[in-house]
Amino acid sequence: MFRKGKWVSLSLTMVLSFMLVLSGCNSGNNSNESNTADSKTDTKTDTQTEATNATPDKDAKSVIEFMGWGGDSEKAVFEKLIASYMKKYPNKKVKYTVVPPAEYYQKLDTLIAAKKTPDVFYAGGAHFNKLVSSGVLLNLESQLSSSEMVDTNNVWKQGLDRYRYDGTTVGKGDLYGLPKDVGPWAFAYNKDLFDKAGLPYPSAKAGEYTWDQMIADAKKITTTNERGKIDTFGVAAYSLESAVWANGGDWVDPASGKITIDTPEFAEAMQFVADLSLVNKVSPSPDDEKAQNGYTRFVAGKVAMFPMGPWDQPGFWDLPFQWDIAAWPASPNTGKTATWLGSLGFVVSKNTEYPEDSFALASYLSLDKDSQKENYVLGQAVPNLIDMAKGEFMEVDKAPKTRQVFIDIIEDYGRPPIEVSSKNTKWLDTFSQDASQVWNGKKTAAEFVKEEQPKLQKLYDENNK
Amino acid sequence: MKNKTPGYRRKEIIWSLLFIAPPILGFLIFSLTPLITSFGLSFMSWDMFTPAKFTGTENFQYMFADEKFYKSLFNTVFLLLGVPIGMMISMMLAILMNRSLKGISIFRTIYYIPVISPIIAVSLLWQWLLNFDYGIINEFIWNIFGIQGPNWLGDSNWVKPSFIIMGLWGGVGGNMVLYLAGLQGIPSSYYEAAQVDGASRWHQFKHITLPLLSPIHFYVVVMGVIGTFQSFSQMYILAADGGPEYSGATIVYYIFQEAFKYFNMGYASAVAWVLGILIFILTLFQFRISKRWVYQD
Repeated sequence: MFRKGKWVSLSLTMVLSFMLVLSGCNSGNNSNESNTADSKTDTKTDTQTEATNATPDKDAKSVIEFMGWGGDSEKAVFEKLIASYMKKYPNKKVKYTVVPPAEYYQKLDTLIAAKKTPDVFYAGGAHFNKLVSSGVLLNLESQLSSSEMVDTNNVWKQGLDRYRYDGTTVGKGDLYGLPKDVGPWAFAYNKDLFDKAGLPYPSAKAGEYTWDQMIADAKKITTTNERGKIDTFGVAAYSLESAVWANGGDWVDPASGKITIDTPEFAEAMQFVADLSLVNKVSPSPDDEKAQNGYTRFVAGKVAMFPMGPWDQPGFWDLPFQWDIAAWPASPNTGKTATWLGSLGFVVSKNTEYPEDSFALASYLSLDKDSQKENYVLGQAVPNLIDMAKGEFMEVDKAPKTRQVFIDIIEDYGRPPIEVSSKNTKWLDTFSQDASQVWNGKKTAAEFVKEEQPKLQKLYDENNK
Repeated sequence: MKNKTPGYRRKEIIWSLLFIAPPILGFLIFSLTPLITSFGLSFMSWDMFTPAKFTGTENFQYMFADEKFYKSLFNTVFLLLGVPIGMMISMMLAILMNRSLKGISIFRTIYYIPVISPIIAVSLLWQWLLNFDYGIINEFIWNIFGIQGPNWLGDSNWVKPSFIIMGLWGGVGGNMVLYLAGLQGIPSSYYEAAQVDGASRWHQFKHITLPLLSPIHFYVVVMGVIGTFQSFSQMYILAADGGPEYSGATIVYYIFQEAFKYFNMGYASAVAWVLGILIFILTLFQFRISKRWVYQD
């Protein structure tokens, strides 16, 4: 049909198809906003005298780029904190950029690759480990010991240690970040539903309330509607981490790098979580979750027990029912309980022009009394400062009443999330994807973990050595 | 003859070069450079921070042993089922719309609207339509047949059919317009001659309409196959983690995850090149066999 034109059009097809494939992958990152809030401070404030001993060269001018993620509420909090920081130090300007959470690491890594790393930014979990290993972050150890702003005895060790990394083990080695927050993953319950069923509330003390009691209570609370569908569930989104750890199992042994999901303790705990919906019918099935997730159901008063983090507080304050938090149910085999303690950190770029000022900003945001107060009043976090968390934070006249649970998790039975032991989470993502076979009952947990272990081990070895 | 270019001619040449500069520069910067770079990267390991390391064919070896690569390739091939189905529906629609009725342009517009709707909005809309408990589709199935509809986006067997249905809804309008143009290009004298010879409606369709539309069929198949191989946005919205048991992940989705979640840029480039070559071979093949069935006048 065409002689000469043929190759032209064929090669054109090829170029076009490659072009579409290869250039189709860039996502538009133009939704972030950056704003420089100029410090128009009146010179006669008394803050200047107060800040004399804070930073070494307090009069030198500097501009720090600070990047974080978050929705409108987080953005508002940080704009406020930064404005007060700039008021305190009129010569230090901060350029604050907010990125939507889902795009954050894409944006950050592109900036790093382009050698435009922000001076101070958020990092946590596996990504933090990767950034340290790649030599992107500034070692903060010497500044920490010389700084007068930081009293390490008054900061949660569990939070600070999350930002020590020696290349293999988190918690060892030098400091590369300061905690933005500590996030105890707590166990919330709807008091009204417990009252209605005439049940006592779950205990706030670790080890008193067990899996068996929880199932018994959940069965009494679960009700069906006239169409035969379950309307109110006893529990939703039960944390697999909590179950596995409480039962004495774990995903990986960090020392040997062995994936340990094929132990009986692990399988039993996983089966317990799966059976909440499969056998006991007290928790939404994957199908139910797809239709309406646990969070929506809990907020609608249709779930009695549901996990929450401190950042959920503002959303839960407006609920039309009474709620509180309790200790996670304990495994009857060990009598112990566990949950994860999340954290996100402020880190400093190695290539920053102003290492001292960057550290000063990070420590202000992380540990300054006013900024920490602001944070907990707005229901964003548990304070990083121990005296504040155990003092005024406990007195706050808002739900949850039993705030001690948050503290217990931090001090006692909270553990770093699973991903903290790796640099790459591909193996963990694969586990979650494949685990649906257990949640929907196609396989038992014991069968599944046997088959899955070699696969995960391979992925783990490839990406984390 | 070649020593002097007249002044006005030189001016014209400069102007013409200036006019073609933006698209050429755009092509060089945004297409050719990434193309060459990614080719080089496909033989390297690069996480964007540390300098790229040459690893030879390691990426390709890994790919051919990677379960997820095959899964996403299979999912993508499965979605190709939507191409013939879409062709049939859009041709039928075009025939229905090819009448001189009053207000026919309104109908044509209605069928074309999904084509110009943003894919993200369409995906979110379908997320509601396909909801297991509250979706209008399952509600409809319950009311008409009295049975519980499938868990469209939550069941690994139904995720891909859901994507196909969504793709049909969004795609038939565009092809319908192409078919409409094709239909209007068929001279009515052919049909008149056939009628004189006593051909039935079916015979007219089979022996006149269908063959004379073959260039359109060809175009629709080629573009449909390429488009399906590149589908990404719907999966990104509706199966953000790859769907149950990775049943909703397409190959471009897989590339995206590798590149922007795990930052294996070298490996992602390698997969992208394999995909590109695959599309190229398929398209070449289609061009080859087109000689046998595409009617050119």
